[in-house]
Amino acid sequence: AVHLVLAVQQRHANIESSELEKVLDSFSNMGFSNAQIMELFSLQPKFAPEMRLMVVCELILLGLDPDSTLMVLQRSPEVLRMTAQQLRHRADCLRKLGLGEGNLQRVLRRYPTIFTLPWKKIDAVVRMFKTCLFPVAQVTEILQSCPNVLLEEPQDLEYKFQYAYFRMGIDHRVMVKSGLFRMSLAELKNRHIFLERLGLYQTPDKKGQTQIVNPKLKEIIRVSQKDFLAKMAHSSLEEFEVFRKLLAREEEEDQARVSEETDSDSDGEEERSEIE
Amino acid sequence: MALQNFDMNYGAQFGSLWPSIRIGLLSEQKYGALVNNFSHVGRISQDLRSLNAVDFVYESQKAALHVPWDSPVEQVRSEETAPEETRNEQLSVEKTQTPPLLSTSISPNIKCYTFSRGNISRFPPSRPDTSGILGYYLLDAASLLPVLVLNVQPGDLVLDLCAAPGGKTLALLQTGCCRQLAANDISASRVSRLRKVLDSYVPKAVGSNVRLTSWDGRNWGELERDTYNRVLVDVPCTTDRHSVMEEDNNIFHRLRMKERQMLPMLQMQLLLAGLLAAQPGGEVVYSTCSLSQLQNECVVERAVELAEIQFNISVHVEDLSYFRSVFQDTFSFFKDCRLGELVLPHLTANFGPMYFCKLRREQ
Ligand SMILES: C[S@@+](CC[C@H](N)C(=O)[O-])C[C@H]1O[C@@H](n2cnc3c(N)ncnc32)[C@H](O)[C@@H]1O
Repeated sequence: AVHLVLAVQQRHANIESSELEKVLDSFSNMGFSNAQIMELFSLQPKFAPEMRLMVVCELILLGLDPDSTLMVLQRSPEVLRMTAQQLRHRADCLRKLGLGEGNLQRVLRRYPTIFTLPWKKIDAVVRMFKTCLFPVAQVTEILQSCPNVLLEEPQDLEYKFQYAYFRMGIDHRVMVKSGLFRMSLAELKNRHIFLERLGLYQTPDKKGQTQIVNPKLKEIIRVSQKDFLAKMAHSSLEEFEVFRKLLAREEEEDQARVSEETDSDSDGEEERSEIE
Repeated sequence: MALQNFDMNYGAQFGSLWPSIRIGLLSEQKYGALVNNFSHVGRISQDLRSLNAVDFVYESQKAALHVPWDSPVEQVRSEETAPEETRNEQLSVEKTQTPPLLSTSISPNIKCYTFSRGNISRFPPSRPDTSGILGYYLLDAASLLPVLVLNVQPGDLVLDLCAAPGGKTLALLQTGCCRQLAANDISASRVSRLRKVLDSYVPKAVGSNVRLTSWDGRNWGELERDTYNRVLVDVPCTTDRHSVMEEDNNIFHRLRMKERQMLPMLQMQLLLAGLLAAQPGGEVVYSTCSLSQLQNECVVERAVELAEIQFNISVHVEDLSYFRSVFQDTFSFFKDCRLGELVLPHLTANFGPMYFCKLRREQ
């Protein structure tokens, strides 16, 4: 039945019925159910069955099971456009970055687009970490624990690093161990500045000293918002929500001021009614 | 500079409340728009309402009375004895403690729009109407509380001892009750700013009821003793919010240490002068925009003591807890003031700090 449906579908692709049958057999042999095969063929229907087969084979060889393979292709159908060689090459390169077995499958499953990104982009991220003086082993650790960084802009990551390093006084090792790069910059700032204004966090001075004991980075970012508010900030959700809005506006206005200052010489002074 | 000092002193004074006050001080404050009754009140109010702002004075009193807006006062009075499920225990107790209606013990005619809790919208600057008069004045809404609690009555002689730049002076004029308003500030340059404010908000005829002077308020006891029905003593202080946010002209600067240390003394002398300037039976409100107990309750206590000892004047400090309960939806009050009331900055209602205490000169 599958054969019949697909045969009709694929007719315009000029494919011999017997060939189609072979392809279908291969899919079944790899463990795909009929329904899954139908799914597979519904992605980018214009694509030739043999190409489809090659890519799927490659993914299976990379250690994905049929379920994950289908999921990856559903989430990023553009993977289908890659040649087997390209796929293999990308996998090799990622292995060299430390994303070996286990990690590789995880990356594929969670961030399949990492396989289709231009390599230049990935390289730029890795180089950025090195310029920020992360030792190779730590770069590997970052990639393993937060592969999402490969999808981010290097300058955004660098800004996040600098923020944690200079504003929060956090060293490289702690950043890596605490999974700093898993949290968005906006949320990092929200939590950090919230604590800072509450008087619960201080930027260390030149000698690395503070007058209070700062909470650990992990305790700030690796907890749910609820726990963060209840156990760390001792504050209400209501306050935190107002604070986020205020901070977002502050940042927006800072940015506007900076660009205004660089664009023109006007002094962006606000007119405000008098208060005592 | 200021922050370190605050962490130490206020950390001790407010304990676990301090972090939440601190973050309020360090984040954008909220404003209120004081409607100028000498302008097109209806249109201005409508404009402000269309921004989603509400008149907190009106709302608070409405909530306090639990009666529809347009009920005449007499009717309210008769209803007061009727049982009402909605009225909570606390309120009814307070109502019996304060026999005159709340609305009559709060200066009338003051309308001030604010955005509700958690709403961080801002008011656009006020624009002049056809006659050049501005429609509203932006200020920390909490700074109206000292004026509201002063409770100016029709025909009163009123003294505003430290008046510049004039937010409270303007609010006092909005009551339409001042027979004469004496507005004073030691700083001539600040008095000229006050004059400019009055010029842009009140018509000449009303302005002519205002006497502007630039004297040292501490001498008022000698200048005009036993004269006024109402006196507002809004003293210079550490201006806590300003001090944590602005570097320049900061009272916590090393070079201004002496001046800062002398503040409580100056405040006490000013309050004492205010008490002397009041008629027997007259009412005085002391206010600061500081959280410091030393500048607030302690100053009041010392001034009351000295008035008694040196001038044989006995002073009654009023309990303002009813007042607090009326306005607690809009402001975050400190529950443990020994005397007077204190509005604490809080992210969701970021007004204040504002301390105020009401004193009555006994007959
Ligand atoms: C907190 S401000 C008053 C704000 C004003 N009431 C308002 O609402 O806009 C304190 C004022 O006290 C004035 N001042 C300081 N020392 C004084 C003194 N000895 N006599 C009178 N005014 C004084 C200052 O010049 C300053 O303008």
